[in-house]
Amino acid sequence: MAESILSLKEVHTYIVQHHILQGVTLDVTAGRPTVFLGRNGAGKSSTLRAIIGLNPVTSGEIHLAGRPIQGRKPYEIARLGVGFVAEDRAVFYNLSVEENMRLSMFEENEQAWNRLETVLDLFPDLKRLWRINAGLLSGGQKQMLAIARAFVNDHRILLIDEPSKGLAPIVVDQVGESLLQIKDKTTIILVEQNFHLASLVGTDYFILDDGRVVHQGLMEDLVEDQALKQKYLGIG
Amino acid sequence: MTSDAASVEIDMESGFNTKTWAIRIASIGIWFLPLIWIDPTTYIVLTIAGLAFGMLLFMVAAGMTIIFGLMDVLNMAHGALFALGAYSGGYWILNLLEKFGWVEYGTAVQSFGSLLLAIFAGALAGALLGIVVERVIIRGVYGDHLKQIMITMGVLYVMTEVTKIIWGASPEVVLVPMMFQGSYDIFDVIVGKFRVVALIVGLAMFAGIQLVLMKTKLGLIVRAGVENREGVQAAGYNINRIFTGVFTVGAALAGVGGTMWCIFQEQVYPEIGLENIIFAMIVVIIGGLGSVTGSFLGAIIVGLSFNYVAFLLPKLAMGVNILIMATILLIRPWGLMGKE
Amino acid sequence: MMINDMTPVQRDRLREQQTKYNRPSFWIQVALVVVLILVPLVPSFRVMDMVAKIMIFTVVVASYDLILGYTGLLSFAHAMFFGIGAYSVALLCYHSSSPQWYHLILAVVAALTLSVILALVLAFFSLRTKAIFFAMLSLALADFFHILGMTWSDLTLGEDGITFSLPGILNVEWSGVNLLGVHFTPRVMTYYLILVAAVFLFMGLLRFVRSPVGRVLKSIRDNEQRSTALGYKTFRYQIYSIVFGSSIASLGGILFAVWLRFVDPESVLGVFSMVDYLLMVIIGGLGTLYGSIIGATFFMATQAWLPDLLKGIAAFFPDYEIIHRIAERWMAFLGLMFIVAIMVFPKGVVGTVREIIDRRKASGAG
Repeated sequence: MAESILSLKEVHTYIVQHHILQGVTLDVTAGRPTVFLGRNGAGKSSTLRAIIGLNPVTSGEIHLAGRPIQGRKPYEIARLGVGFVAEDRAVFYNLSVEENMRLSMFEENEQAWNRLETVLDLFPDLKRLWRINAGLLSGGQKQMLAIARAFVNDHRILLIDEPSKGLAPIVVDQVGESLLQIKDKTTIILVEQNFHLASLVGTDYFILDDGRVVHQGLMEDLVEDQALKQKYLGIG
Repeated sequence: MTSDAASVEIDMESGFNTKTWAIRIASIGIWFLPLIWIDPTTYIVLTIAGLAFGMLLFMVAAGMTIIFGLMDVLNMAHGALFALGAYSGGYWILNLLEKFGWVEYGTAVQSFGSLLLAIFAGALAGALLGIVVERVIIRGVYGDHLKQIMITMGVLYVMTEVTKIIWGASPEVVLVPMMFQGSYDIFDVIVGKFRVVALIVGLAMFAGIQLVLMKTKLGLIVRAGVENREGVQAAGYNINRIFTGVFTVGAALAGVGGTMWCIFQEQVYPEIGLENIIFAMIVVIIGGLGSVTGSFLGAIIVGLSFNYVAFLLPKLAMGVNILIMATILLIRPWGLMGKE
Repeated sequence: MMINDMTPVQRDRLREQQTKYNRPSFWIQVALVVVLILVPLVPSFRVMDMVAKIMIFTVVVASYDLILGYTGLLSFAHAMFFGIGAYSVALLCYHSSSPQWYHLILAVVAALTLSVILALVLAFFSLRTKAIFFAMLSLALADFFHILGMTWSDLTLGEDGITFSLPGILNVEWSGVNLLGVHFTPRVMTYYLILVAAVFLFMGLLRFVRSPVGRVLKSIRDNEQRSTALGYKTFRYQIYSIVFGSSIASLGGILFAVWLRFVDPESVLGVFSMVDYLLMVIIGGLGTLYGSIIGATFFMATQAWLPDLLKGIAAFFPDYEIIHRIAERWMAFLGLMFIVAIMVFPKGVVGTVREIIDRRKASGAG
C-alpha cells in the first residue's frame, strides 16, 4: 500500500459569492507525479491555491502526510513542505536570480546552499545569469528559475501551475526536460493544459470539471482513451 | 516576451544615447540656473538650506512611500504619527530635559544627549501609535484604497483634535539644544548648525534604509513583497508580521521626522501633521509611489526649489510644489521612479 | 410614436412619466418643499439658519456623492470648489463699493468658469494613472488654495475673512415688506433665494444621475473593465461627472456665502472640512443622492447640539479639568463618528435601508 502524501476531502471554496470548488476529493500518492486536467475554469488552479492556502477553504479537509492543513496561513503551509510555483509571476522580476533563490530559502544554512548547488547543476543557465534581474530572463529561463526556486527547500510536494503557459513549443520541451529531471526528487502536482507535457511528466491524473473530480486513473490509460479525452479535454 | 521595459533600459545604458544624456545634463544644469539672479555666497547658503529642508521632507516621505509600496496603503494618518513625534520628542522631552538644564544652556554632551533622547522619544511615540493604527484601523481596510484614504484621514483629523486636548490648540515654542543654536560661518557662507544636523540625520536615514533594503534578508523580503505579496506568502513568509514590522518602522521614521522638523522650525502646533502629510505626499508623488530613492530625489528637488523661489519670488514659494509636481507628472505620469 | 415602436428604455421612461403623480415618493417631495416654504414663519432665527444650511449642504453633499458614490472617485478638492464659489461672491461684493445684482451674476460666471477649468486640469493630471492619484492631487490642489486664501491678504484679507453686503432686497438695509401679515425681511428673502436655488440644483443632480451619462457612470463604477470593453470611454464620463459635480459645489459655495455674508479660509477652504463632507455623504449613503438630505441634516443637527451636550455632561464633573478639555473638542467626536461609520456602516443610512428593501423584494419575488 503506497503512502498518501496529500488528500483532499470534500473541499469547497468560494470567491466572493462564486462557488468555485464544489467538493473536491482526491488522494495523491507519495512519489507519483500527478497531473490535474480539465477545461478552463474547471477548478484546477483553484485547487492548487486552496492547498497552499491562498484561497480560503470554506468546508472540507486537506491533509498533508496525514496532518490537517486546511485553514492555515499560506506561509505555514509552505513551511510544512508545500512548494508552489504560481501560474504567472512565479519569479520576482525586480530581484536578481540570486536574490530570487535566496528568498526561497527558509534558512540560509550550509544544507540549503548545498541543495542550491545541486539545483544549479540541473539548471546551468541560471548559474550563468546569477546576478541578472529575473525580469530580463527569457520566458523559458523564468520558468526554470521558478521551478528551481521551489527546489531549494526540501518540499514534500511541489505544486506547479501551468508551466507551459505562454511559452514557445521548443521552450515547453525544455521545461518538460527539467520537470522530468526533478520528478523523482519530490512529489510533483502539475496543472497543465498542454496534454503532451502532462502525459510526459505525469503518472497519475485527475480530471476536474465544474469544481469536482470527475475522473481519475493512470496516465498511460488516459493516453489511449480517446473517448474520455474528447469528453473532458476536447482533444483526441 | 522578453523585451520588457527593463531590457530596453539596458540597451540605452550600453549605447551612447544623445537624448538621455541631454536630459541628464539638463536636469543637473537646471540647479545652477538660479546663479543668474543670486550671488554665489547666497546661492551656497540657499542650497545647503534647501538640502537640509529636503532631508526633513524625506524623513516624512520615506515611511509613507515604503508603506505604500509594500502594503499598498496610502496612509494619511502618517501625519498624525509625525505630529505625535513632534510633540512628544521635540516638545515634551526637550522641555523635560530643560528642567535639568540640559537643553538651552547645556554642555556639548548634554546637547547631543538631549537631541538623541528627543529623537528616540519621537520614534518611540510614532512607532507605538503606528502599531495601534495598523492593527485597529488599517487591518480592516486592506485592499480598498478609497476606504483607506478616508479612514486614515479621519484618524489624522481625530488625532489633531486629541493633540489639542493634550497640549492645547495654540503654537508652542520648541527649544533648541545649545550645541545646535546659531550658525557656522565658513568664508562668509552662513550655515545654520541645526541644518547640518538635519542633513546628517537625513542622509544617515537614507543610507540606513538602502542598506537594510539591499543587504539584508528582511530587505529582500520587503522588496519582493512590493512586487508580489502572494509570492512572498507562498515562499513561506508571514506577510502580516512583515506588514506590521514595516509599518512600525515607517511610523518611527515619521516620529523622527516630526521631532527634527519642530526643532528646525523651533515651534510646534496641532496642524503640523496635516501640513506635512501634504508636503510629504507631493514628494512621494514626484518620486513615484513606493520608491525610496524616488522620494529622496523628490525631497531634494522640492527642498531646493522651495528655497530658491522663496528667496527670489517669496509670493510664489507656496505654489512651487504644485508647479514642480505638475511639471514632473506631465513628463512622467507615474513620477520619477514610479512604475505602473 | 406608437408604444410598440419604442425602445425598452423609452417605454420605461413613459411609464415612469405616467405614474409619476401616483407614487408616494412624489408626494413626500411636494410635502417637503411646502414645509421648507413655511419655515420662515417659525419665529426662531436658529431654526431658519439651520434649515438654510441644511439645504445648501444637501446640494453640496449630493454633488459630492455624484463624484464619490456614483463615479467612485475620492476628491479632496470639493471644499476647494465650494470655497471658490464662496470667495467669488465675497470678493466681487466686497471690492465693489455698492454691490449690484450683476455682481452676483458675475460671481456665478466666475465661479463656474474657474471650477470647470480647475476640474479639467485636475482630471487631466490624475485620471491618466491610478484612481488614488485623483485623491492625492486633489488634496494637494485644495491645500494650495487654502494657503492662497490665507496668505494673499491684499485680496482675501487673509485669516480674518471678508464681511460683505448684498444687493437689493437681500441687503440688510432693505426695510422688508409686509404681506398677508407676514414680515418679509432681507433674511427671509435670502432664505427663499436659497430654497429656489437648492431645489433647482438638487433636481439638476437627480436629472444627471438618471440620464444616460449617469447610467454609464454607474456601470463604470461597478466594473470599469467591462464598461471599457463595451466601448465607453471611461475617461470622458468621469470628466463629465467631476466637472458637473464640482461646478454644483461652487454654486453651493455661493449660496453659503450669500447666507452668511461672510467668508474666511478656514470655514470654506479648510482641507479638514472634507472630513465633514465625507461624514455627511457616508452617513447618508454612497450613491443615493437623497441620502445627502439625511447626511446634511444629521451633521447640522449634531454640529448645533453636540457642543452644548458635551458641555452639559462636563458640568457634572466640575473637578476634572481633562473632561472639560475633551468636551471642548467636540470635533474629535465627529471624527470618531466618521471612523466608526466607515467601519461598521459603510453603505450609510439610505444605502442600508435600500439594501434591506431590495433583499426583501428579492426574497418575496423568489
